[in-house]
Amino acid sequence: MGEPFLELRGLTKHFTGHAAVQDLSLAVPRGAVLALLGPSGSGKTTTLRLLAGFDRPDAGSILVEGRDVTRLPSAARRCGMVFQHYALFPHLTVGENVAFGIQQRPDRDERVRTMLRLVDLAGFERRTIDALSGGQQQRVALARALAPEPRVLLLDEPLSNLDPALRERTRRELRAALRAVGITTVLVTHEQEEAFALGDLIAVLREGRLEQVGTGPDLYERPATQFVATFVGRASVVPGTMADPTHAQVAPAVVWPVRTALPVTPGTAVSVVVRPDALRLAEAGLRGTVRDKRYLGGGALFHVETEVGRIEIEAPVAAAAVGAVVHVVATTGHAFPAES
Amino acid sequence: MTRRPRGIALALVLAWLVVYPLALVTVDALRDQGAWSFAHVQAFVREPREWQALWASVWISVASVALAGAIGIPLAFVFERLEFPGRRLLGALVALPAVLPPLVGVIAFLFLYGESGFVARTVTRLFGLASAPWRLQGAGAILLVHAYSMYVYFYLFARAGLARVDRSMLEAAESLGAGRWDGLRRVTLPLLRPQLVAAALLTFMTSLGSFSAPYVFGGGFRVMTTQIVATKLNGDLGLAMVQTVALAAVALVGLAALRRTQGGRSVAVVGKGTAPAARELHQPLARWGAAVVGWAFAAVLLLPHATLVLVSFVPIGTWTTELFPPAYSLGNYGALLRDPERLRPLLNSVWMAAAATVGTVVLALWAGRLIVQRRAQFGRTIETLTTVPWAVPGTVLAIALATVFSARQPWIGRWVLVGTAAILPLAYLVRNLPITAGSVLAGFRQLDPSLDEAAASLGAGRTRTLVRVTMPILRPAILAGAALAFATALGDFVTSIVLYTFETRPISIEILGALRQFDLGTAAAYGVILMLISAAAMAVGTRR
Repeated sequence: MGEPFLELRGLTKHFTGHAAVQDLSLAVPRGAVLALLGPSGSGKTTTLRLLAGFDRPDAGSILVEGRDVTRLPSAARRCGMVFQHYALFPHLTVGENVAFGIQQRPDRDERVRTMLRLVDLAGFERRTIDALSGGQQQRVALARALAPEPRVLLLDEPLSNLDPALRERTRRELRAALRAVGITTVLVTHEQEEAFALGDLIAVLREGRLEQVGTGPDLYERPATQFVATFVGRASVVPGTMADPTHAQVAPAVVWPVRTALPVTPGTAVSVVVRPDALRLAEAGLRGTVRDKRYLGGGALFHVETEVGRIEIEAPVAAAAVGAVVHVVATTGHAFPAES
Repeated sequence: MTRRPRGIALALVLAWLVVYPLALVTVDALRDQGAWSFAHVQAFVREPREWQALWASVWISVASVALAGAIGIPLAFVFERLEFPGRRLLGALVALPAVLPPLVGVIAFLFLYGESGFVARTVTRLFGLASAPWRLQGAGAILLVHAYSMYVYFYLFARAGLARVDRSMLEAAESLGAGRWDGLRRVTLPLLRPQLVAAALLTFMTSLGSFSAPYVFGGGFRVMTTQIVATKLNGDLGLAMVQTVALAAVALVGLAALRRTQGGRSVAVVGKGTAPAARELHQPLARWGAAVVGWAFAAVLLLPHATLVLVSFVPIGTWTTELFPPAYSLGNYGALLRDPERLRPLLNSVWMAAAATVGTVVLALWAGRLIVQRRAQFGRTIETLTTVPWAVPGTVLAIALATVFSARQPWIGRWVLVGTAAILPLAYLVRNLPITAGSVLAGFRQLDPSLDEAAASLGAGRTRTLVRVTMPILRPAILAGAALAFATALGDFVTSIVLYTFETRPISIEILGALRQFDLGTAAAYGVILMLISAAAMAVGTRR
């Protein structure tokens, strides 16, 4: 993916006692979209605000094209930002909002038209902000942020304010717009689906620390930590002990194949994380009772109560009825050091 | 029984109290000796002094808006956006001029900055002058008092507005390349516009109706309010009516002009409405600089209050040429409580203000129930009627009420109340209608209509719902409106001077009397008591 265009080195920020971001290092290639994914309080918004220059890091640096911009004020940093609630200026029209950052440019009006065309709002210049729908406001905010040709675009929960029906479409349009402009982008989200759909790279944060960074398939198939494994995609966790380097015993006479990055000796206590699609119902295996069955697109998600806890399994709808006694077999799982 | 449209009774009562007097004044201005005539209007138009007074009223008001804004707006930014030692306490102190009734503020200024006040005495002593180098008189003195008492409007409104400007607005401007000043000019100030216009409107109307400062400091400099009272005292009632109509017209024009610039609804609340955190001043110099300036400013603001308290302990005739009064005693307060003739104004003011407050609260509750809860057909009319007295200078209102209630013609709603104990409470009631009704209506609007239904579904009847649900929730709004109304009525001077009788003279009139007899100590003692009762009322009213 080439030279990093945007680089975060050891970024740290404390807020009255607690560390919001700790020693965060990331690199984003030119034109790539990095999604910061994490639960609330994981430090993703703080990171975005540090990038925008609204807050100053306590330690570490931010580099754009190799140049240190850590001390640069926001106004001089050339980072376009789309706010969670859009922060459109209510006293200005759509056109004036988009023109806000390009007052001095001779081609201002032309540029406003181009930007509005990009977000599919051609001819909206004279509209007032409160006459727009949520999705339109989001697009105006994007046009406004892109108008001054920023070097980096920052998006704070870009779709969280839209109703679910609109999200899917807006996400596609947003992705198309980002591709068309080819701008290096950092976006913050707590929704895995959004991160996967928009991000070329996804960085999972937890309590201010980076858990793992990689592409969607990386995170899904090779989670580095138990947190990533359970936060990204559905998964069930059962305790176990390593039987050999590729198998873990989760119950008497139940051994599941697992992948692990740890040099483990047999007998080590581990947590085994298994995805619903890596489990199936069989004649023998971990015994349990079906407690609930939720219909999905192709099959159903079964909640099976076993002696080691509740397990979610994806299987054909007709595979079992609620209340039935079943046996569960895993095709593959991930083993992590047991959390004590 | 045929159904009357809802709200018509209240609309009629309010129209009788608010619109009818103004209409009657207008009619009287156009009549002379029982016939229609332009004689009074011509007398007004031909007299250059009338035009001068009208012009003085206008320019003093415009200048007051400019001065009050120039002090209040920067102050709001300092206290809302910077963090420095003492910010909280100072921020509250800065709003203090609001609790000084107009006349009390004026005499405090007189004792402080007048030609025989503390400041003049100090300067005279320091430079060995024979007499004070200035006289606290004319337009300058009036503007000084106005700036002191009215910047609070700008300060409070701008602060409230700033607290509601979403942080992301400013950050958005910043990320689009706008520096601090650019963001202020292009984002913050435009967002504050509704609040600033509202403050300007309040300042303009208050200045236009201001009476105490021009009356005490005006000297030969006449504004319309003092002109009207002087004409009425001279017995030229016809001319006084024309003057009254002229001042009311200016007020309405000013109101309409400023309303136009206010622009639609408030736009300051957008997004989550989280204001940016106050910026901590880290540099020790800036930190302490801000604190020192803040405390110095607060000291200047508190000087009039302190002066008043000091002077209230001075026995009559003991303070002549000394820098500070040589003798202090509690005599003034003692005399005030012992001498029934001195105590009377105090009792008068208290009962009249209380009666007026009860009346306004009842009217406001009635209006709120009709407008908000029952959506009466006449709701809009009723609400407009409650706000009209706000747009009318106090002098105009007083003259108008004096006109209606000086004849016995019950078939057209006129009784003789002038000269009785009823007229002043009635005048206070009408004047305070906008304050109390505004507060109570806002309270009603915050009531969730489903609460009523919830109470009903739990088996509560209308009375029980009112007592157990509606009133407890409305209590803060009622208390706030009532406290403000009570304090305003207690310190009222502008309507009192037109309508009082010796028997019902309120504190303000007595203060003026004491001042005329150079009994500064008594005047100050009344002022202090007035200040304390007002402050206590406000404290009760704003408690949550």
